[in-house]
Parts: sequence; C-alpha cells; structure tokens
Amino acid sequence: MAIALEGSVVDELIAICGPEGVFTGRSALFNRARVPAPFPAHRWEDHIPQAVVLPTSAEQVSEVVKLANRHGIPVVPRAGGTGLTDGAVPLNHGILVDVKLMNRIIEIDHGNRTVTVGPGINMLKLNEELRRHGYFYPDDPASYPCSLVGGRIGTSGWSLIGARYGHTRDLVVSFEIVLPTGEIIRVGDGGGRSTRKSSSGFQLKHLFIGHQGTLGIVTEATLELAPRPEAEFSAFFSFSDYMGAHRLTGDLSRSGVATLGGVVLFDEMKIAYLRRDDEAYIPQDESVRAVVACASYGNADEVRAGAKRLLRIARASDGSYMGDEISQGDWWSRHDRYATPQHGRTRDGQVALMSWHCEDAAIPYTELPAVREKWHAIASDLIQRFDMFDDWGMFAYTNGAHKAWGDYLTEIDIGIWESRWTDESWAAWVDAKREIGRVALEHGGSLTACHGSCRAGEVDLVPVELGGGFEVMKKIKRALDPNNIMNRGKYLLDQAYEEE
Amino acid sequence: MLGFRLSAQTPPPARPVTDGVVSRFEHTYEVDPALMTEHVRQQQIPNWDFRRIVDSRWEHLHWMRDHFADQVIAASELLAELEAEG
Repeated sequence: MAIALEGSVVDELIAICGPEGVFTGRSALFNRARVPAPFPAHRWEDHIPQAVVLPTSAEQVSEVVKLANRHGIPVVPRAGGTGLTDGAVPLNHGILVDVKLMNRIIEIDHGNRTVTVGPGINMLKLNEELRRHGYFYPDDPASYPCSLVGGRIGTSGWSLIGARYGHTRDLVVSFEIVLPTGEIIRVGDGGGRSTRKSSSGFQLKHLFIGHQGTLGIVTEATLELAPRPEAEFSAFFSFSDYMGAHRLTGDLSRSGVATLGGVVLFDEMKIAYLRRDDEAYIPQDESVRAVVACASYGNADEVRAGAKRLLRIARASDGSYMGDEISQGDWWSRHDRYATPQHGRTRDGQVALMSWHCEDAAIPYTELPAVREKWHAIASDLIQRFDMFDDWGMFAYTNGAHKAWGDYLTEIDIGIWESRWTDESWAAWVDAKREIGRVALEHGGSLTACHGSCRAGEVDLVPVELGGGFEVMKKIKRALDPNNIMNRGKYLLDQAYEEE
Repeated sequence: MLGFRLSAQTPPPARPVTDGVVSRFEHTYEVDPALMTEHVRQQQIPNWDFRRIVDSRWEHLHWMRDHFADQVIAASELLAELEAEG
C-alpha cells in the first residue's frame, strides 16, 4: 500500500485545483491503478496513486508538476485509461493527473481546417459536434468510443482507417504540453498552430508523441479536419487457407486505391475463436479458415469507383465474398472492439470469465506467415502450463499512413482469467510477452505499432530495438526531467539517472 | 393491456449448430450450455430480453456506423454491376 501524501501536500494540491479537483479516497485511487493491458491484479495495491487531481487548465497542470518537483513526488498522466500498454499505470505511486475535465472544443478554424481541443475530449463526441459542420476527425482506434485525444498523443496511436487518413501523429497538427519541470510550450511543425509542414528547427512534435507520459502532459491539441465521408464501403472475403488470404491482403494493399482505409487479415485461430465464442458471429462453412476485410471512405463517386477496382482484385483471388451482413456489421464493430466478449475457454472447453489482452507489433508483410506460427506456439506453451490463458487468434491490419502497403499492425489476442493470477503465472506471462517481442524483432519488425512498448516483458527489448537511439532517449529524459518526476520507472528510463 | 406470460417468454429448445454452439432463434448463437457448468452458469433469459439484447447490438452498430459516413455502398450491388459489365 502506498504511503499517503502528507496533509500539507494535499493542501497545496487543493490550493491549485480546488477541493473539487483533488481526490484521495480509496475508489478514486484504485479505479485509476490499471488499464485494459495485462495487469497483475493480484498485486493491485502496488500500482495505486497517492492522490488524483483533475485539473481544468494548463496553468493548474503546470503548478501540480512544479509542486511534484519541489517534493520529489512522481506524476502519472492519465486520459481515458484505455491504453493497451501500461502508460497510465503508476509504477511508483505518486500524483495521478487525470485530464478528463479538460474536454472542451476550444476553436474550430473553418478557413484552415483545424479544430483545437482539450486533451480530455473523446473522438466520438468530438465527431458528433464536427458533423454539424460537415467535418470529420478520422482517428479511429478500437477504443474509438472511450479513448481520449491526450492519450492518443501520449501513445502515438494507430487508426483503423490510417491507410486513408493517417494515424494520430499525422492528424495532430500542433499541441501544447507541460514539460516535466512545469514550463508550458507549444510544439508542431514549426511555429503557428496550424502549419502542416515546416523545416524550421528540430521536429519536436514527434518527440512529444508516443512518450507514454514520460516527457510531459498535453494540455491542448490542434487537430486535422477532413471532410465528412459521403460514403463507406466494406467487403469481407473468406478463404480455405491462410496463404491465399495473405496474398489477397497484399494485392489489395498495393492496389493504389486512394479511398482505401485499411485491409485486415484474420487467421485460422481467430476464425475458430469467433465460431466458438462470439455470439454475434455469423456461422460460416467449415472450409473457411481465414478472412480478408477491406474498407473505403470518401466522396461517393470515388468510393464507388475504388471499390469496384478492389472487388475486381478480390474476384481474381481464391476468396469468396461473405455477404453484405457480415461485411457491414463486422466492419462497424471494428470501431468498438472494447465491447469484445469477456469469456474464453479452459483446456477442457469449459467457459470461464476472461479479460481481453492484445499484444501488438509492427511486422513486414512478407514475415506475417512465419510470425503467426511462432506467436501461436508461444501462446500454446503458455496454455499448456497454466489453465487460465486462451488463444483468441490473430489479426493483421495495414499500418502505413496514407498508404496501405508495407508493414502490418499484427496482434495476437489472448484471453486471461485474471482472478487466477499468481506470481508464477504472471512471471510466465511476462516471459511470453518478451518472446512475442523477440520474434517481432527477429523478423525485422518493431515491438509495437500502436500500443507502446513500456509493458513488462517487451520493455526489456526496447534497448535492443532502438540501439543507440535508446541512449539518446535517456539523455533527453535526463535533460528535460532532471528530478525524474514524469511517469517514473517507465520505459527503463530510470537507467538515465543510475548512470549519473 | 399486455401482460407477461411465462409460456410466451420461455426460449425454444436449442438446436446444435456446430460443436459447442447452439441456436434458439434465427441468426443468434449461444455457447452450448453443457460447456457452461463448472465456472460460469448459463442463465435462462426471457425471450423479450434476448431479443432486446440482439436488437440493441444491431442498433449500436448502425449508430456507430452513422458516425463515419452518410451512406453505405454495398459490395453486393457493385458485384452485380461487375457481373453485368462482364
């Protein structure tokens, strides 16, 4: 259990955020200890913050950070708490800064096509307002209804329709951030709030995207506005073998169709899981062993023409069109994958309540078949040793921004019966995740395309993946955060201070 | 006035679909109750609630889709056009 903050520190927080903006009660603390990522639920108390603050301005955030520096207390930023790594999980207790109240739309710039928002706004709610003006903010994660803009920036999130519109890093034009020492700065492509391309100075925008809260707290963001799509097209194709589906995935991805939002490849284990445990699944013939999905967005005439080209490509493959009901209904469910069934199977086939855990990596197209086999072997070994894991299969999603070809966000979904965690099974799980990451690197990929790589297990491989880049990360961390305040312990960045 | 009648709300017998999956209503599927005996017990849900859950899911999906585009172009329609074009 964390030691409670001194009363005088709590009083200082109240002086900054007001009595309605500071929480030290048990439910406020415990509910902000975890995210949906694999979490040692049997050691929940190791991760609770000592106080939660809900600021309403950048100035309040800045003052909280300065207070933390004065007292040497860690600060953990948190937005929606929906991340699939542990960016928002306190590793050393401290003050948790929850940005949910900073959720206003500050300005819509019609002339320059940007919207400026607080970090606590959600994409679904933002788009409900933008729709009135004919605009669309096309950042579409699986957590679309529940994740927040601030978390998307902190994670450098991936978007389901990124092949058409880009991902979070491409859609955030500029943003304001409170540095670890409390200064408030704005970063973007050069100066100005809405400049899309500049060659002025270091490109700092990217430095402050995807740092998992180790380099500051975003307090305002200016986002790209796209025209609201007139039309959507989605189509699913079934295959009797994985390699046939893999070929069509590549062919569609390389088609050059400008309206193509993304292509998804479902493997045999995923189909088997959907057959046995997804009540919304439409049964398919036993011969179906893999599925390819694609979707397009844009002006109706362009979507129609592009879709015809995609269908011509698909007709030339071994696949079969699966019908409008599954093509449309399943695609729509892609926007809200946090509504996944919360049950899986023990080894004897009995149903047990399980949480959904998704391990991701960026994998080159040519390596997908080999990685798939190795990842399932790792999961199988885990299942044989502990009757609390279930292999829910794999997806591969197009990962490029504004283009569909290249590498793929590849994920293996594993059901975990979390109430069965022990130190032994947790250690085995962390080992398995490290092995999953090792396979990704051995095949020329990255530890993560979307979630971040600061989770227990794969974080050990970050220095391997980044090499000299990790040494630069440590120097930057030490320079910007001399007291190691921001999200202490994440990304192995404590090493930056041990070497002093 | 409509009233609750147990006979009208009792689910029909399950028919097997595949190993481990059964169906009681068209287009809806359940895990075989025989596989829900040790750790989780299957509940008997009245027909009105079963239909509410199924209908709610489709309502949710349509609502979600509506956030993304004004219209949906069906692949079946385009495939028919391609067929006609030869």
